[in-house]
Amino acid sequence: MAIKFEQVSFSYPSFDGKNFSALKNINLEISEKGEFITLIGETGSGKSTLVQHMNALIRPTTGSVTIYGIKIEKNTNKNKRIKLNPLRQKVGLVFQFPEYQLFEETVQKDIIFGPKNFGIKEEIAIERAKEIIKLVGLSEDYLSRSPFNLSGGEKKRVSIAGILAMEPDILVLDEPTSGLDPKGRDALLELFTSIHKELDKTIIVITHDMNTVYKYASRALVMYDGELVFDGVPNSLFSDKHITEWNLDLPDIIQITKQLEEKLDIKFDSKPHNVDELFNLVKGAL
Amino acid sequence: MNTIEIKDLSFSYSEDITALKNINLVIKKGEWISILGHNGSGKSTLAKLIIGLLKADKGDIYVDEVLLTEDTVHEIRRKIGIVFQNPDNQFVGVTVEDDIAFGMENLNFEREDMINKIVEYAKKVDMFEYISKEPHALSGGQKQRVAIAGILAMNTDIIIFDEATSMLDPKGRESIIGYIKELNKEGKTIISITHEMKEAVNSDRIIILKDGEVLAIGETNTILNDKEVLNSSNLELLLPLKLMYKLDEANIKNEKVKDILWQLSLNK
Repeated sequence: MAIKFEQVSFSYPSFDGKNFSALKNINLEISEKGEFITLIGETGSGKSTLVQHMNALIRPTTGSVTIYGIKIEKNTNKNKRIKLNPLRQKVGLVFQFPEYQLFEETVQKDIIFGPKNFGIKEEIAIERAKEIIKLVGLSEDYLSRSPFNLSGGEKKRVSIAGILAMEPDILVLDEPTSGLDPKGRDALLELFTSIHKELDKTIIVITHDMNTVYKYASRALVMYDGELVFDGVPNSLFSDKHITEWNLDLPDIIQITKQLEEKLDIKFDSKPHNVDELFNLVKGAL
Repeated sequence: MNTIEIKDLSFSYSEDITALKNINLVIKKGEWISILGHNGSGKSTLAKLIIGLLKADKGDIYVDEVLLTEDTVHEIRRKIGIVFQNPDNQFVGVTVEDDIAFGMENLNFEREDMINKIVEYAKKVDMFEYISKEPHALSGGQKQRVAIAGILAMNTDIIIFDEATSMLDPKGRESIIGYIKELNKEGKTIISITHEMKEAVNSDRIIILKDGEVLAIGETNTILNDKEVLNSSNLELLLPLKLMYKLDEANIKNEKVKDILWQLSLNK
């Protein structure tokens, strides 16, 4: 098991002086390979706080997070005896606006910044950058361009390349697709899927988009008011009666199928996952 | 009556990056128009030009028949409010109350009038109980509601929503759409910039920008259904309409189903 949360709670003093519980008694296990996880829940439910525990950016107030065998607790590393850098290399975290973190003159310098910090030789890092830029769907000549003249989608790709260059086992992305147009969003999610499949990495994506959860995820985690209230497959999430209580909505395909069934007064034999499957059901019913 | 008229508008950020080319557009008073287009198509640039945050290289913008110039920009800003994409980038005050007051302060409202308006509009967007709270303790949807209250208090006739819902959770998104509908009903002219067809179906007209040019403009019902136009600008047909196209292609003709799918795509 790559990451294990055991009875993790996290609280911080809020503006009115009381303690605010951002995480309450979280128990959770994440494998090193083969998972495509979406983490959902309304704003303020604790999603970002949860993922920041995954590479020891913050430490639990009570309980423990074990990351690749290293147990992180409240007072871990007060005396800096444990090196946290290797953990941060293994679990790569892409923040919500990764494009704001680009700062170098060229795309290549931005991509090799992380690996160099982790002690990789520059020549090797540059070779890696040439591979990775293609992996994120951009051509090699992007390496010599300034990151500031790129579109929003391209900047996101470059910043993801920078994290991939550190060769993490687990890639965590905080709302990577917000603000992208539908095609840009799909292209980025296809990219994560190919990284997940071809490089056999675990991907964790925070999102508000239920279509993304239904289409891409093998596992869904739902946070509500600091608690992990659901951990399972998307299919069972979207038939869970608590879904409105957690302030989530249903994927378009499920909503439209339900409405069609009501208006046509029929019941389809199966639950479609995409428009092609729905088309076949409608065709069969007419 | 026209409230905004844009004639031959062009703008470049630098010599090699042209953001907008020869835009011509008329927006009527009380109309709700959606601006759609791919990332980098020029949507937000257009909004910034309309409120005078950027200066056009070429062309004219009229707001209520007043030409936008350096001399008239302040007068014009009294008529147009804007809600931006990232709620965190538009907060300046220590409390919610300060933030609602900010726009009015800039327009030199009387103190007493301001206090009454803060209360009135905080109530209107359902944020009165948070009035003395720190904006940073609020959720994204709540922050956008505070931003809307500030604009309502300024009493502008035109409100621009620049991807104001794109960072919100489903509940926050729904609440902001609800407010936009209500404001439009009350007679405000709405310009909403979005990538989501689901949101655009609520508007009267849609304009689609592609690479800085107007690719299409028309009634919402027409643009909504224009597969080619949407595809070529990185947008997506609504799911019921995708299904309708598939049925058409397979030569399955059923008026009842077609009608239902059309109603579903309009959120009805």
